[in-house]
Amino acid sequence: MNFEISHRTTYRYSAPVSQSHHVLHLTPRSHYRQTVSRHSLLIDPAPASKAEMIDDFGNPVSLIAIEQDHRELLIHSRAQVEVFAPMHIDTSRTASWNDVAATLRANLGPETFEAIQYSCPSRFIRPSRDIHKFARASFVEGRPMLEAVQDLTARIYRDFKYESGATDAATSVEEVLRIRRGVCQDFAHLEIACLRTMGLAARYVSGYLLTYPPAGQPKLIGADASHAWVSVWSPEIGWVDFDPTNNMIPGEEHIAIAIGRDFQDVSPVSGVLLGGGEHEVEVAVDVNPVNGWAGAMR
Amino acid sequence: MNSTVQNIIMPRDLLAAYRPPAVGHDEAIGADGTIRPQWHAFSQAFGAIPLEEQAQRQERLRRLVAENGIAHDLFAEPGSRQPWSVDLIPIMISAAEWAVLERGLIQRVQLCDMMVNDFYGAQTLLRSGRVPPRLVFSDPAFLRACREPKNTAHLINFFAADLIRDASGEWRIIDVHAETPAGVGFALANRLLHGQLMGDVFRDCRAVRLASHFQQIQTELLQRIERDDPLITLLTPGPQHEDYFSHAYLSRYLGFQLVEGGDLRVIGSRVYMKTLEGLKPIDLMIRCVEGSHCDPLELDPNGFAGPVGLVQALRRNPRLMMNFLGSSIVENRGLAPLLPDISRALLGQDLVLQDTHRRWLGDMESRVYVFAHPERFVIRHAHEGTGRPGRAEIGIMLETLTPKALDALRFELDVNGQDYVAEERSDSAYAPSWTADGLTSRRFAMRLFVVGIDGDYRVMPGGLAMSLDGTPGVAMSARDGHSRDVWIASDDEVMPPHITLMRPAAEVARVLRAGIGLRSRIADNLYWLGRYCERADWVMRLMRGALSRSEDSGAVPIGAGGRRALELILSKDQPPSSQGIGHDPNAVEQSVRLLMTAPGRSHSLPGLESNMLRVGSIVRERLSLEVWQTLLRFSNIASPQANDLSDSVKLLDRLNAGIVTLASLNGLTAENMTRNYGWRFTDIGRRLERAYNLAELLLALFGEVRREDDETARLFFVLNVADSTITFRQRYLFAPILSLVLDLLMVDEANPRGIGFQLCAITDHLQALPQASPHAPHNEEQRLILELLTKVRLAKVASLEHADASGQRVELQELLGTLISGLPKLSEAITRRYFNLTEEELRRVYTRFGSHS
Repeated sequence: MNFEISHRTTYRYSAPVSQSHHVLHLTPRSHYRQTVSRHSLLIDPAPASKAEMIDDFGNPVSLIAIEQDHRELLIHSRAQVEVFAPMHIDTSRTASWNDVAATLRANLGPETFEAIQYSCPSRFIRPSRDIHKFARASFVEGRPMLEAVQDLTARIYRDFKYESGATDAATSVEEVLRIRRGVCQDFAHLEIACLRTMGLAARYVSGYLLTYPPAGQPKLIGADASHAWVSVWSPEIGWVDFDPTNNMIPGEEHIAIAIGRDFQDVSPVSGVLLGGGEHEVEVAVDVNPVNGWAGAMR
Repeated sequence: MNSTVQNIIMPRDLLAAYRPPAVGHDEAIGADGTIRPQWHAFSQAFGAIPLEEQAQRQERLRRLVAENGIAHDLFAEPGSRQPWSVDLIPIMISAAEWAVLERGLIQRVQLCDMMVNDFYGAQTLLRSGRVPPRLVFSDPAFLRACREPKNTAHLINFFAADLIRDASGEWRIIDVHAETPAGVGFALANRLLHGQLMGDVFRDCRAVRLASHFQQIQTELLQRIERDDPLITLLTPGPQHEDYFSHAYLSRYLGFQLVEGGDLRVIGSRVYMKTLEGLKPIDLMIRCVEGSHCDPLELDPNGFAGPVGLVQALRRNPRLMMNFLGSSIVENRGLAPLLPDISRALLGQDLVLQDTHRRWLGDMESRVYVFAHPERFVIRHAHEGTGRPGRAEIGIMLETLTPKALDALRFELDVNGQDYVAEERSDSAYAPSWTADGLTSRRFAMRLFVVGIDGDYRVMPGGLAMSLDGTPGVAMSARDGHSRDVWIASDDEVMPPHITLMRPAAEVARVLRAGIGLRSRIADNLYWLGRYCERADWVMRLMRGALSRSEDSGAVPIGAGGRRALELILSKDQPPSSQGIGHDPNAVEQSVRLLMTAPGRSHSLPGLESNMLRVGSIVRERLSLEVWQTLLRFSNIASPQANDLSDSVKLLDRLNAGIVTLASLNGLTAENMTRNYGWRFTDIGRRLERAYNLAELLLALFGEVRREDDETARLFFVLNVADSTITFRQRYLFAPILSLVLDLLMVDEANPRGIGFQLCAITDHLQALPQASPHAPHNEEQRLILELLTKVRLAKVASLEHADASGQRVELQELLGTLISGLPKLSEAITRRYFNLTEEELRRVYTRFGSHS
């Protein structure tokens, strides 16, 4: 399916910011079932310097520095992306999770090597006893790995309440586990922590999700949001996505931007400012099928 | 020990009376009971010094150490402060043994350099499994943002290794430091202080000097930069870091600028230092900051010790910093067991120096083995980082754990084993240590330092040895901070020429003098040093004046003036601790005692003392050693010690001591500080504070008309406090009257204690400071000072004295009021113009996922 995406981030400051640096993970990356055909980035005020590079995880990154006083910063990213459906997976016929963990420990070959870095702790995700206890219920000895992951995904969906405002960017996985509430970022972190605790490799995927307007009504502009889900490594298939927020295996309607170990690696807009006082941020995301809604409705 | 007996049988040979430990390796005495050859010369030369003189030398060394502030860990909690002492007896290393150590260390740093290159580049070691990828990828010191696959440069320039000698006599490496210069400043300071007391013995032992090593570093760094007037800096986390002494000492010794993250700004691929004259491009930064804290944008988001955007600047200009940002990864202790194999693979050599026996617990087999032999192992973190030497964590002894704790640890190791190592407990060698009761033996470890500019590595011919805590692990943990110098016996017949960096070669001196601007932060703190010193002086003079019962010329009581002045000072801090002191002499004493002991107040001595030390330590590189020592002496006087303040005589003694110490501090600044911008800011601070305090006191004492005897008492008091009694008497041979006192203390521009004098001095300073534009007529602060000075000059003392019907001296009140509101405005204007580059705080912002669905 072909999408047009608009992602506007606006910062408003109560006092002038004299200098700001930002790291942007806003350019969607292409991968085996996703092709990015166009992308543009509008930044106002214009940055004094701007650098494009590919980070250590393979994501396109923009580094910008603004050197003039400003009270408002607009970053508008627009992209056209085509997403292909994943092949069907019979999760019950995959290798056992114990064997996958053993393969990762053995570090055999370049593919395993790439996966290992996503099995290690990262800034937001470190295994612990509580996480292990929670994860263990899905991972009985010898169970096919993807079946276990599917079960874990379903449990997070079932046992945790989606609630904005219950958590913030600094909330730890342990805390999410305790309060059983959060947003997609928290659920993705929790699932990754569970998978890594079991010795598996899991990564954080940032992106967008196509949402449908209520029947018979036009879609509201800016009503979509950035989304996050997880990807787990299977020796037979490669990386397989799971979305704990929606209890599903992402298909054509999940559009990936970037991949990392956790939120820290792929935060869409992160920056350091000099000055600025209080700030507020407004994010408006629109995801629309290029060929109109008729084609998208099923 | 009875010293007279010692004098009769003076030991020609120091070690004759030394009893080495019954088991284990001793540095000085061999297993056969004879003195090892490298200790002969020392033993004879030092043994020839009478015991009494040895004791004197050790005592003088102790005092030197205290005065130099090595032990002064400024921001540490009092209880966690590490003391510091230097043993008279060094560790002696023979030339032959040194050759092996040198070879081993250079091999090790080369190996580490190649490993850093590989981990951040091709990752061949990880892909092949020679190094488990998990070990590197789990370590927060591995900075992904610093991956640079095409890198070929030498990434480690400053390196150090901690070594012990094991029971079999072999040296073993227990830790390496590849992040920062790792406390080399302590080694240097130890050598310079120890050398003052032991220079004669040092020469007799033909030990190798350090100066040429540092001179070579200095010259090579300057040559490496292809610019005539290079700006080389040491980047430090600041005075709150426990290793700050070392950073400051090294930067002073090498003549490089000490900077903090807040002093820097990145624009494009360049890093600039913020100075009074604007931004100055930096040519080289020697990093004394943990890599992950160097750029909040791309590294640890909470690490503000480096400038924002540094990683990107280094991508374009990697030669700007040493060591390479991610170099600390090779400090991971889990690498130790892999090194023999890595060395053969990368260098084609066997290791010259082995590591202590260690196992990486990311390895399941290792975990099983360690729990099967708990008595043999200590569990430690795989990566601890480098702090103050002697502060390594000693680790967890498995044997001592309760079953419950053991179970928790076992689980932690099962899921996070990659973060830990197990170390085999082993004994380390002993060396003789000097005490007043004779020699004792103490276990030690030593840190040796390597420097290599672009791969040409050299080992510093000396080191920092520390006595180890009585723990069974092998950590360089020395809580009592007992340190030693390390002497390398020279096998050259001819000693190298005596070089010291205090007298650098002419071409080096030229380069260092030029082009070093004053950093805005330093200017700010020098200004406040001036203000705090003056404020402390003022408060002490007020207290002394209030305590003196009478003026010495006659029996005129000055109590009323003193009480009013104390009330004024006490009202500076909330809550005011006294409504009014009244006539009770005990109340005066109590108020003075409060001001001399209460911490955390803006006008109490302990409060002022801690502020003086804080700003003093930030500008320490700008202060001469004598100034710093005087500051420490004042700190001793101003620290609350209740016992010393039991009566008014003791209070007065202490105040007098404090005033004299501050006077010598002022004298030293006046005499010894170069007349540069830094000195001007200190002096502006002092002048501004003095003018303000005097204006405030004059208003409080003379704003209203009083009974004649009361006013006379107040006049005597203010003359006393303003140190102008003698001047007044020389001019006027009668009791003070207000108009003449006001003339002397306000209008007279020749009285160095008067307000007019202060305002003139500030005017001169402001005209000499760099201006935004040379053609601008008068900037804000110059306009303000001109206004104040003109008002004072135009004042008529006769009408100032005049009071209205209700007893209010309206004109005096107005003039003093103008000064009291104008001087803080002046201070703000100066802050805005000169210090503001460092004022604003950096803040971190993110957008989150799913933030509004």
